[in-house]
Amino acid sequence: MDQNPKKNFFTFIKDATAWNLSGSIGYQIYLSVLFAIILLGIYCYTLQARQGLGVTGMQDIVSWGLYISNFTFLVGVAAAAVMLILPAYIFRDPDFHKVVIIGEGVAVGALVMCLSFIVVDLGGPLQAWHLIPGIGLFNWPSSILAWDVLVLNGYLLLNLFVPAYILYSRYMNRKPDERKYRPFVFLSIFWAFGIHLVTAFLYEGLPARPFWNNPLLGPRFLASAFAAGPALITLVLAIIHTRTKFKLDTSLFNKLRLIIVVSAIINLIMLFSEIFKEFYTPTHHSVSAVYLFFGLEGHNSLVPWIWTAIAMNITATLVLAFNVGKNNPTILLPAAVLLFFGIWIEKGVGLIVPGFIPSPLGEIVDYAPTMTEIGVTVGVLALGMLVVTFLIKPALIIEGQFD
Amino acid sequence: MKKKSAYILTCLALVFFIMLTYGCNEKSGHHSVAETIKAASTAHVPSQKLEASIATPEDIVLAKMEYQGGYFWVNKRKSKISRFQCSNCHKDKKVQIRDANQVAHGEISLNHGEGNRQLSCDTCHKMDERDYLVSEEGKKIDFDHSYQLCGICHFRQKKDWIGGAHGKRVTYWAGKRVIKSCTECHSPHSPRFSKRWPKTYSRPLE
Amino acid sequence: MSKQENGHKEIDQFVERILSKKSNRRKFLKNTVQAAAVGGAITMPGSAEAGLMGENSLLKWKEFFKKNYRLMSQEEKDSTVSRLEQIAKERYGVDVQMSNKGPEEHVLYGYAFNISRCEGFMDCVSACVKENNLDRKSHTQYIRIFELEHGQMSVESGNGKFFHEVPEEGHFYMGVQCFHCENAPCIKACPTKATWIEKDGIVVVDYDWCIGCRYCLAACPYWGRRFNWEDPYIPKDEITTKQHYLGNRIRPKGKMEKCTFCIQRSREGKLTACADACPTGSRVFGNLLDPESEIRFVLKNKKVFRMKEELHTDPKYWYFID
Repeated sequence: MDQNPKKNFFTFIKDATAWNLSGSIGYQIYLSVLFAIILLGIYCYTLQARQGLGVTGMQDIVSWGLYISNFTFLVGVAAAAVMLILPAYIFRDPDFHKVVIIGEGVAVGALVMCLSFIVVDLGGPLQAWHLIPGIGLFNWPSSILAWDVLVLNGYLLLNLFVPAYILYSRYMNRKPDERKYRPFVFLSIFWAFGIHLVTAFLYEGLPARPFWNNPLLGPRFLASAFAAGPALITLVLAIIHTRTKFKLDTSLFNKLRLIIVVSAIINLIMLFSEIFKEFYTPTHHSVSAVYLFFGLEGHNSLVPWIWTAIAMNITATLVLAFNVGKNNPTILLPAAVLLFFGIWIEKGVGLIVPGFIPSPLGEIVDYAPTMTEIGVTVGVLALGMLVVTFLIKPALIIEGQFD
Repeated sequence: MKKKSAYILTCLALVFFIMLTYGCNEKSGHHSVAETIKAASTAHVPSQKLEASIATPEDIVLAKMEYQGGYFWVNKRKSKISRFQCSNCHKDKKVQIRDANQVAHGEISLNHGEGNRQLSCDTCHKMDERDYLVSEEGKKIDFDHSYQLCGICHFRQKKDWIGGAHGKRVTYWAGKRVIKSCTECHSPHSPRFSKRWPKTYSRPLE
Repeated sequence: MSKQENGHKEIDQFVERILSKKSNRRKFLKNTVQAAAVGGAITMPGSAEAGLMGENSLLKWKEFFKKNYRLMSQEEKDSTVSRLEQIAKERYGVDVQMSNKGPEEHVLYGYAFNISRCEGFMDCVSACVKENNLDRKSHTQYIRIFELEHGQMSVESGNGKFFHEVPEEGHFYMGVQCFHCENAPCIKACPTKATWIEKDGIVVVDYDWCIGCRYCLAACPYWGRRFNWEDPYIPKDEITTKQHYLGNRIRPKGKMEKCTFCIQRSREGKLTACADACPTGSRVFGNLLDPESEIRFVLKNKKVFRMKEELHTDPKYWYFID
């Protein structure tokens, strides 16, 4: 193989940084906006760090809110990268092979957001080192949260190093050795299911919360993730397709649409199964569901959200299933947006918050995030977008230059 | 190659799920409270150190009965009755001071027993035995051991009180068993607790 | 949100008014104590501020890198306790005696609550707040008392926010707090082993090891745990200075806390503050391993039940009826 002596790991980093910071005016504005939002998030977080989590809308009854809701949803987005990896590496689908690196970039961004959401949710972030095995004290295998820390970080490493290895090889004008990375690809496929199941078990394993203590939660997490994740990836691909020289085939969008439709339908079936169980024979375990869908004793802050989410889900699923626009992007993309946000609401806020209401002692309160909390959340989301951008941009340039 | 990695991964997945199930079922060496209690019922050794650190309270008197663990003590009553001995005033003659009843016992309003079972003063106090309580059968009962009198009617409560399901210990759960006598919580003349505002309240209060 | 806050404020004022009717004497006492405290501060020799600051940051540095309490040797426990005493002196201006007394042999604490005796006076709640240095600002309480209508037996349908003269006709009262489950879901949930069950059956939290993820709060079926959303505020003259590392020492913000069966009292042989304060004798506390104890008498002679027994949490807190 011909080694280029001028290229090494440092030039790789240097070039990637240069590519990331240069671009059209539009790109520069986009970056500035992201940085501004991140700064806002940091400012809000300093407020929270100084005064405590009391600045958020959370309290002893609803003790997890916007942060953990977003965390839960984004774990799904991260896991959904497997929907590109599986066909690309196992079935050797050429369309998917071309974009798999983008899916992995999205997964890394989602994981960065997940871990950031966990950190901003911690009451004692400075004590987070207690979680590091060896110097801390890790309650493993008993605590599902300990499992989650392991699998999330493991998945982050897998999704960083496999693409990094491939890209770096390409950058160095080498052919990546498939024997080296293939086992890790296999592992990451299992791992993707792992992260989302473990995250589901985090909630599913709590008899204290009947709303979550439901064996359907894990499968539903997967189904909704495999609908929302590819919907997001479709959007990212569409942006890349229109904004860069990197062109994609329409057949790819159709394949993604099929994945989304199948998952969304399975998700809806399970949702209806749950709704049937909760409302046909409403036991006292159904109180949270009643709160979510109809409100309780005048507390109904989630009712408009969940019905909006369900309407969005159903509309988007129907549009995508019958392929109303015949893969016309002006219809396909809004439908993907609708589905993405529908699942975000349903699985984020609609799953986490009602789990706490009513409290195990039957007390009902409403939860509404404060501006500070929203500021931190938006900041983390912007950070994630920045990470995705900074990973995908050099990747596409390398793929384009050296392919 | 492909087979091998698939094999390794299947093994990995299996290990993963076994570990997870193990994590879910972790109950190593765990006994239920009921089992622990049963196992301990014969082997109780009171901690010498703890017992020694507890000061014996003053002003207590050995109760004239036993509970499951032997003797117990109650707080004295007589030392807290401000005008004891009663025979200081109530001698063989009638008290001659004007309004003496109002001054000495004016705060007493008798509200003990319901309907036609209302008690009167002489249910417990007798004209000719002022320094003692006297039961209906004529048994003299020391004021420090008033539970003997209360227990005549309230025999169920007395049984619970002796055992520890009614009433309460004084300050300590360990050491000498010193418990409050009936009259420390219940006014003998009006034994029911009266309605009152709670000391505090809980949030959320909406 | 602000409307809610206003509501709280109004209620606070209302409660203050009602409670102050009888507490003029207490206010006077409070003022005297404050005056005494100020006087004490003035007469104290002027300490070298700068030197103390440096020392204090060293203390905090050492505190930051200390181990989980369970892994500490006795010397390490002693030194962390003395560091915490110094920090408390610096921070709150009070002399704290902090204990790290371990469990006694042959002791397993248990608790029984008499639902036919409790009349909802809430003396227990107020004593608990005082004893355990609970945050007055957010009105944190470990104990909740529910007012239930006759014909019901679940707190879910009860009223935990009553504030009127008690006992109310046709109602009974039921107290809930941490049940110190033998098979506690919170312990299983904690990712850092910052909460565990002691040999004498008390479920404790190492406040300095807790990372504040609140997974234990989500896992508790009895809502027995509380979180320090902000730095707790306790008026200086109301701080209970006899403290325990695992008990009522003033918590940092962002950490979990909970009822510890008043570990600073119970390990000295005393009743918990709630049991001691109860005016009706509804609260029975004692050693489950002692066949002669009151708690064992209750278990043997009364029909008892535990809350949500179907969850197999195995609480050491029973309810009974006369």
